[in-house]
Amino acid sequence: MRYRNKLGAAVLFLMLIHGLALFAGFFAPYNFAEQTRDRPFAPPTRLHFVDDQGRTHLVPFVYDAADMSDSSLHAPVTRSLRPIQFLVRGTPYKIAGVFSANVHLFGVQEPARIFLFGTDALGRDQFSRFLYGAQISLMAGSLAAGLSVALGGALGAVAGFYGGHIDECVTRMTELFLAAPWLYLLLGVRAALPLHVPEWQSFVLLVGVLGLIGWARPARLVRGIVLSVKERQFVLAARGFGASDAHLLCRHVLPETYGVILTQFSILVPQYVLAEVTLTFFGVGVGEPVPSWGSLLSVLQQYSVLVSYWWMFIPAIFLVPIFFAYFQISDALQEHFQSVPL
Amino acid sequence: MRYFARRLVHALVLLGALSFVSFLLLEAAPGDYFDEMRLNPEISDQTIARLRASYGLDRPLLVRYERWLRSTMHGQMGYSVAYNEPVWPILRVRARNTLVLAGTATALAWLAAIPFGILSAVKHDSLGDRIGGFVVSAVLAVPELVICLAMLVLALRTGWFPVGGMESAKIAGSSFWSRLGDTGYHLVLPALGLALITFPVMLRHVRSAMIESLESPFLRVARAHGIPRMRLLFRYALPAAANPLISLFSFSIGTMLSSSLLVEVVLSWPGLGPLLVESTLSRDLYVVVGGVMLSSMFVIGGSLLADLALFASDPRIRVRG
Amino acid sequence: MRVVYLRGLINLVAAAVLSSMFAAGAHAEDLLVTDNSPGHRGGRLVMALRSEPKTLNPVLAADETSRNLLECLTADLIHINRRTQKTESALAKSWSVSADGRRYTVHLRHGIRFSDGAPFDADDVVFTFQVYLDEKIDSPQRDLLVIGGKPIAVKKVDSYTVSFDLAQPYAAAERLFDGLPMLPRHLLQKQYQEGDFSSAWSLSTPQTELAGLGPFRMKEYVPGDHVLLERNPYYWKQDRNGVRLPYLDQIEFLFVSSEDAQLVRFLSGDTDILNRFGPDDFALLEKQAVAKGYHAYDLGPGLEYNFLFFNLNDLSSKDSPGLAMKQAWFHDVRFRQAVSGAIDRGAIVGLVYNGRATPLWGPVTPGNKLWFDPQIISSTKSLDRSRELLRSAGFSWRSDGTLVDSKGQEVEFSILTSSSNAQRLQTATIIQEDLRQLGMNVHVVSLQFGAVVDRLLKTHDYEACIMGLVSGDADPTPDMNVWLSSGATHLWHPNQSHPATAWESQIDALMQKQLVTLGYAERKRLYDRVQEIVAENLPIICLVSPDILVAARDQVRNFEPAILDPYTIWNIEQLYIQ
Repeated sequence: MRYRNKLGAAVLFLMLIHGLALFAGFFAPYNFAEQTRDRPFAPPTRLHFVDDQGRTHLVPFVYDAADMSDSSLHAPVTRSLRPIQFLVRGTPYKIAGVFSANVHLFGVQEPARIFLFGTDALGRDQFSRFLYGAQISLMAGSLAAGLSVALGGALGAVAGFYGGHIDECVTRMTELFLAAPWLYLLLGVRAALPLHVPEWQSFVLLVGVLGLIGWARPARLVRGIVLSVKERQFVLAARGFGASDAHLLCRHVLPETYGVILTQFSILVPQYVLAEVTLTFFGVGVGEPVPSWGSLLSVLQQYSVLVSYWWMFIPAIFLVPIFFAYFQISDALQEHFQSVPL
Repeated sequence: MRYFARRLVHALVLLGALSFVSFLLLEAAPGDYFDEMRLNPEISDQTIARLRASYGLDRPLLVRYERWLRSTMHGQMGYSVAYNEPVWPILRVRARNTLVLAGTATALAWLAAIPFGILSAVKHDSLGDRIGGFVVSAVLAVPELVICLAMLVLALRTGWFPVGGMESAKIAGSSFWSRLGDTGYHLVLPALGLALITFPVMLRHVRSAMIESLESPFLRVARAHGIPRMRLLFRYALPAAANPLISLFSFSIGTMLSSSLLVEVVLSWPGLGPLLVESTLSRDLYVVVGGVMLSSMFVIGGSLLADLALFASDPRIRVRG
Repeated sequence: MRVVYLRGLINLVAAAVLSSMFAAGAHAEDLLVTDNSPGHRGGRLVMALRSEPKTLNPVLAADETSRNLLECLTADLIHINRRTQKTESALAKSWSVSADGRRYTVHLRHGIRFSDGAPFDADDVVFTFQVYLDEKIDSPQRDLLVIGGKPIAVKKVDSYTVSFDLAQPYAAAERLFDGLPMLPRHLLQKQYQEGDFSSAWSLSTPQTELAGLGPFRMKEYVPGDHVLLERNPYYWKQDRNGVRLPYLDQIEFLFVSSEDAQLVRFLSGDTDILNRFGPDDFALLEKQAVAKGYHAYDLGPGLEYNFLFFNLNDLSSKDSPGLAMKQAWFHDVRFRQAVSGAIDRGAIVGLVYNGRATPLWGPVTPGNKLWFDPQIISSTKSLDRSRELLRSAGFSWRSDGTLVDSKGQEVEFSILTSSSNAQRLQTATIIQEDLRQLGMNVHVVSLQFGAVVDRLLKTHDYEACIMGLVSGDADPTPDMNVWLSSGATHLWHPNQSHPATAWESQIDALMQKQLVTLGYAERKRLYDRVQEIVAENLPIICLVSPDILVAARDQVRNFEPAILDPYTIWNIEQLYIQ
């Protein structure tokens, strides 16, 4: 089946990303909160293979802090080489919040710094923040999208299948949900919570809120499909055979909706990654200094940053293949379910 | 027809319920319009308390709701604390502008999404489709705000389009057609930006629906019959794909409205956006409720339209009703 | 023949007499002569506003945008010159103070007319103050006019003289008049008497019903889009050469709610003045200044002071043991001093504000020429000293560096800040990192503004907070409610029935005294002492004051931005386009 290749490649890629996120502490040379205050908005550190004397090194190296654009000031002074070291001991970190370790994949000796993606306004390494940010964004985004489509799909299927009052009820609820200013409820909920919400609680809250925001649209779409499918021949035939409602729903009707559900899922994940920023504005979401992709991208919302510091765009660029992988998975799964014969 | 009369009644009930729910939700959030004044050392607490009383903000929820309902019957929709004026006149002008923008952008987005969606479905899995998918992911990955700023910068660098506003400075006395042209000229950038923001999702849906339709048995039979490609596509596949797309259309109105808020703020289009953002953040109660009611009227209207279209297009629903 | 000549002569004489009377009448206008460089008439100025004005009614306007607009449309009796920060005469040609400082007699200019041609006299002044002081109208300005518990008594002495009686001598009385526009009795009295004043002069009021004494008058308002003002032909100022001000024909205010859009439109030449932009944009603006023909100005610190403070409320009636335990630390002045000593203000200035800010150790900024106290010690960051202070307060460190108090509790607290102010959020993050070096575990909680105010002033459910205030005026008096322990904006412990600490009662006494002291030198001495007490006891730990940043195209002449609101257009009548 040709979709196997597509599926395989995309799944592998996403597993790689999730692996990177899980072991963010290992892959990231610095802690996400570490501020290098004399280097705000520093461009990505340049890696060199050839040094001043013209010698080529196998392992790339960086120069000391003097490797800034003011090389005109001290021309012939020999700059100290700092080769990139692998499997170095650095600041301790936790894996999955449980296991402690302090070995990092790579690093350079102080006082040199290696900022692969540059730094932000407070001099924090963007590469490290990107990896740690994946922990929040990817997982919250996927979980919340899953919650949305599961909830929406279930409600929409029930509404479409049973029709009548249940359908009316659910449909009105979706319309109410889409229109009402839930923002204020959010503010109210946040006010009722204690001042400082512990990390995992705020994560669950974030997933819950995001998930509940987006259930209405999948519900409507699924309902539309179910409405037209339930009259199809094969369904009527199965019913004629005495199949129960539940059996009809799960075995015959729902598979028809998978296409829509998967498309919705693949669209919701990116939307939720970005929606998290707005939620943070209203007090729900991860607080400083914990990074998330949403907060990394929110810096780009300033014209001066967009124009002056191009490296802040790099996280956005990495999002593209990730979203693309989600699309590929949803395509492949859709094909799989299409290919199921009648 | 009875079905639609029923739907209309339901819509009205829904609007009523929505208004009450909005009041409840607004009550849940802490603070009110006078928060900023409370941090001003020059204004005493008593003055603020009296101000709140004069706008009726210290009354219980039900009393306020009842007064608002009465005011809405008279076409005022409550009183804006910030503007010291009834809400409806403030909303009316801006709502019209937002509709113009959203309508144009919807048309643009769908006009682009349908052909490209069909194309990518037909050429499904080819190199072109892959590249297209990548481009769509790219556009989706860019935050909405950045797209709007990019439009702004485009206008700045090229000077082809005016940067913001709805009419040029000296247009006041000119003829109707030149004013229309002037508005259209100002409309290009915001509509383009808004269409760009909403286009990727629509494209994905059209593509997905078309693929499903193209793979379905009856189409394979039709193809086996030798029916020409074009006819196959437009006369058989597209109508079958119409079901989810029509549902999607009713949704696109909702997303279009919320994205238009952002576009209006950045590109200074005088619609509901800047007003609602300010009122929401400053807690100008009745303007927010009015805005919610207005946008839900659009959404409910769109949903009604979609159900109508679904009814008309899909005979399977008509039979069962 | 002679009869005819005689009649002709009489006619001629009559005409001469009459015309000289008219001429005298025309020159009877008491115009104010300004000393700016003379310019020439013509042109239109375009400026962007961040939010829309809400009302044209000066009595009810509370938001900044409406007030800025009204500055162009109205005038007051005595005005504060934004550059010198001192008072100067406006509609009042001169004024005198009685010996006990309780009666101000104001002499108005003669022959002044409103923008619709109607004459201005003492009746308008009396009417205006009647409206401001009316309790049923709830003007936000009313509280300023209540001195010593009693509202100012306003009496008309004659057509051009008004007297103001205060219940007690009030040092800053002159400055009160700034920002209190004079209202036209002939247009508003009827509505006021009918009790309908609150709906007067909203934005949809037709131009025929509006009139003011400012340099401009309303021409057009398009909701959501722009406001257009045109020259007031009756304006009462002229320049050295006798040219009637304002120079500009028109001003257009565009509504551009996004800061970045404002920046982009200024760069593209759409607008002529950029009023207060963020520090991140300054470098960008400076770079293109010469090429695009404008200037970017860094005016130094304004009157805004940002600070960190702790919850010092008396929470014994509430049931929150966690907070009570933490308050034991907050109440200890050594703890607060240690925190203050650990904060790297230089980093805040450099990273958060790109260098466009001034570190503060007291609430009065160097921009306040008359009241800044240079004696306040500005200490640099010193972790050793902070550790010493903590040690003396009974704190100690575990082996892993965590700070614990005398009971062995880990020192952990949250700093609250508003999510709408990105700079304060970044400041909180820097302080979080700084305090980590002392072993404190600090969380940053960013909530929406309304939620923050609610916690600060209503529920008192917070631990520490970063906030910023802008003094209403350079004079200390508008900020009374921040320093008085009974004040509602005495943020760390508002509305006290009697002072909770000795130093707070000291501040109370000093502030009350400076209120009634009339000589500037003595008042300065008193206020300096207040600042010193604040610096010793640190109820607020002052951090930075952001610089005022503005920009204007080179064609705009006589542009003299100042650090007092409205920064760029305070001398709008003197601006002209080359």
